[in-house]
Amino acid sequence: MAGLELLSDQGYRIDGRKATELRKVQARMGVFAQADGSAYLEQGNTKALAVVYGPHEMRGSRSRTRHDRAVINCQYSMATFSTAERKRRPHGDRKSTEMSLHLKQTFEAAIMTQLYPRSQIDIYVKILQSDGGNYSVCVNAATLAVIDAGIPMRDYVCACTVGFVDESPLADLCYAEESGGVSSLALALLPRSGQIALLQMDARLHQDNLDSMIEAAMTACKGVSKVLDEVVRQHLQEVSVLSRE
Amino acid sequence: MAADMRLPTARKAVSFSVSSSDRKDLVVPGDVITSDTGFMRGHGTYVDEDKLTASVAGDVQRVDKLICVRPLKTRYNGEVGDVVVGRITEVQQKRWKVETNSRLDSVLLLSSVNLPGGELRRRSAEDELTMREYLQEGDLISAEVQSVFSDGALSLHTRSLKYGKLGQGVLLQLSPSLIKRQKTHFHNLPCGASIILGNNGFVWLYPTPEQQEEEAGGFYTSLEPVSLSDREVISRLRNCLLALAAHKVLLYDTSVLYCYESSVQHQVKDILKPEVMEEIVMLTQQKLLEQEG
Amino acid sequence: MKDTPLSNCERDFLLKAIEEKKRLDGRQTYDYRKMKIKFGTDYGCCFVDLGKTRVMAQVSCELVAPKENRPNEGLMFCNIELSPMASPAFELGRPSELSVKLNRQLERCLRNSKCIDTESLCVVSGEKVWQIRVDVHMLNHDGNLMDAISIAAITALCHFRRPDVAVQGDDVTVFSPEERDPIPLSIYHMPISVSFAFFLQGTYLLVDPCEPEERVMDGLLMIAMNKHREICSIQSSGGIMLLKDQVNHHDRKIASVKVSEITELITKALENDKAARKAGGRCGFAESVPQERITALKKEETSVEMTDVTDRASEIVEKAEVPSQTVPSPVVPVPGVGQVGQGLQDTWGLEEEEEEEEDEEGGEEQEEKEITMEVEQHEKDSRGGYFEFSPSIR
Repeated sequence: MAGLELLSDQGYRIDGRKATELRKVQARMGVFAQADGSAYLEQGNTKALAVVYGPHEMRGSRSRTRHDRAVINCQYSMATFSTAERKRRPHGDRKSTEMSLHLKQTFEAAIMTQLYPRSQIDIYVKILQSDGGNYSVCVNAATLAVIDAGIPMRDYVCACTVGFVDESPLADLCYAEESGGVSSLALALLPRSGQIALLQMDARLHQDNLDSMIEAAMTACKGVSKVLDEVVRQHLQEVSVLSRE
Repeated sequence: MAADMRLPTARKAVSFSVSSSDRKDLVVPGDVITSDTGFMRGHGTYVDEDKLTASVAGDVQRVDKLICVRPLKTRYNGEVGDVVVGRITEVQQKRWKVETNSRLDSVLLLSSVNLPGGELRRRSAEDELTMREYLQEGDLISAEVQSVFSDGALSLHTRSLKYGKLGQGVLLQLSPSLIKRQKTHFHNLPCGASIILGNNGFVWLYPTPEQQEEEAGGFYTSLEPVSLSDREVISRLRNCLLALAAHKVLLYDTSVLYCYESSVQHQVKDILKPEVMEEIVMLTQQKLLEQEG
Repeated sequence: MKDTPLSNCERDFLLKAIEEKKRLDGRQTYDYRKMKIKFGTDYGCCFVDLGKTRVMAQVSCELVAPKENRPNEGLMFCNIELSPMASPAFELGRPSELSVKLNRQLERCLRNSKCIDTESLCVVSGEKVWQIRVDVHMLNHDGNLMDAISIAAITALCHFRRPDVAVQGDDVTVFSPEERDPIPLSIYHMPISVSFAFFLQGTYLLVDPCEPEERVMDGLLMIAMNKHREICSIQSSGGIMLLKDQVNHHDRKIASVKVSEITELITKALENDKAARKAGGRCGFAESVPQERITALKKEETSVEMTDVTDRASEIVEKAEVPSQTVPSPVVPVPGVGQVGQGLQDTWGLEEEEEEEEDEEGGEEQEEKEITMEVEQHEKDSRGGYFEFSPSIR
């Protein structure tokens, strides 16, 4: 889309952020009573709900049972009202299946599945409002839900998308920027060890610029992890204060 | 019909006392607990480059050299001797599968139940065929954990008259961490009902039985109508338990009883209103403190 | 049918071999398998062989209404068909995880990197545009599907020619190839995917994993690049933990080298085909069957050094003892009657007595067999050579 200036000369983006600035992240853990773990997360205008059930006995096809570790089952969906255009979203179209697959892959890397042989962990994520960075918001929300469920993980998994405009990386793209045809990179990171659980990049980019993009994405992920960390500690204290009284 | 409506109110922020606001024993996944190699790795931790690291969010517990992290909320982790309440999900060859809020379905072997006819009865092939007559899918049972398999699944037994099939009553599914471990988890409350506080977070409320039928072997369920007053007591207890659970108060016979007593002035249906709930729980906590102190 | 799992010893063997920097088929860590690119009769039909992996891509086009938000852009659609023909593990019906993964990756590789000029595909703005459809079929699965798919798809796109159209007022005329020469698509760049398989928590990495290697790998990193050293897409899959520098230097350098090699190969293949078509040679699908272009199972023509084969063969023949030519003549009781153990003597019940003798003979026989095998080997190698040798024991 020509004519849309994604990064002004003064270094501001269309929504007034600086290049490396994240959107505001707000989150809450334990939003549902029925589920083993649940979380709600807002990152700017993108809002997601994540629910975790398990670990529990394998339901459905027994043939998927693994005798050395738990099976992770992810489902990603978008509410019909999540985008500007109201759209019926049938289950299992390519994009959402792929997203489910990526979520699964991300959490298989982070959750210590070997502790729960023969069981299954379900992670359901729903996008309530979509404004770019759906994958990263889902990962961040699901991380909180998994922690809420008391399922052991190596570390938080934090994800962030990064774009590349005018030789400089932009952190945490919103929808206008994402659809503006910039090359974007989604990265899921375990911040403490710096391990990458998922890396995905779209659109053309010269290989010499990849370094700076990954670097920016990692910094952004670490920023997200700080916020998540605060949320978890806050939640931890609230609950433990209640139960200690 | 009168409907009760309320407007949304702002959630009250929990006030932290100064001492609790920076507690050192709360950890989140990835936090390094200690880099001293002298400690032993317990549940909820893992070793990463010689550092003992937490894998769940919760409080650190140390017993001698063993360090564990107990998550705030988790599925039931069974231990031998626990009393559980569960639901039969499947009838298999010589065993029942029981859902106990554990991470794998528990097993109740045909050989670890008391069949009608006394302790010494042999189990014949016929018993295997008629297993469904004793317990079928959907039945609720109370049982004790006999052993834990290597993969974490529980093996149950009902070889005592106090365990067995549950008849008329109300089941509550709460968090296992709210149940206080005690000598006995079966209580005949003086308010006129009985309670089984399963270690797995399943709580069973039922009218106090008059006389235990000796011959039934735990498979007899009374279908006699329960009187209205008994039902009211049970409903009140249920709402009290929910109120306590909502405020994360540990559940055991005294706390339940105190809560019941403090709720008497309210109607049963009103107990679950947030402000009433708060009031009752406050009263209960005061009584508990008085009793302790 | 579910995929048969790999046995533990096979798994251990493969991993051990990888640790020792060896691969099952004798390749080096960063070697590709032999790649072949062939074309069918029609424009836009391409077969790619990558070792035993074989895929077919066909590009087609039709006139459709454009998307509302992009009225003067043509459309591109990719579809990958994993038919059970290629591997018993592929099932019909619901798209499997693998199929979704490959489809999306190809889409990302071709569409999101904008490798074809979609604006040139517009016929009447807002009303008629060309939709280019790329169908990729698996013919045989022997690992590294993604690379084969991406190569087949981009080559087919380069090879494809769409019919010419003329717009007069509201009339759109599509010319048949006889009337006007069809027009090639305008391709900006050629994204080619290179897959890296990670083993043992990312300690070891291999390019172009074959099927058994894919089964033991921990994760896969697919990098699509073009020859201008631009990255078109990156996708990691499988539960691997990468470290930043793992992605950074190593892989990219290898990927860019591989991509330029492959691009060169594609260009050469396209040129060859062009020349062949100009010469009016027979080419195409019908032709490809006898030439074994579609079937995967065929003997690879391998070049063998043949300098001293004859000498060595005759040497062996000389050394070998002449085998007894006595073949018991079959006894036919009545014409048209078959016998079990054709024509040999009935040995039922005699075994015990003859055991000793057999032992002695057994040794000799074995020796002979060995010799024969060796000669056979040579015979195979010197296919097309002039000498013949009839094996003695069959």
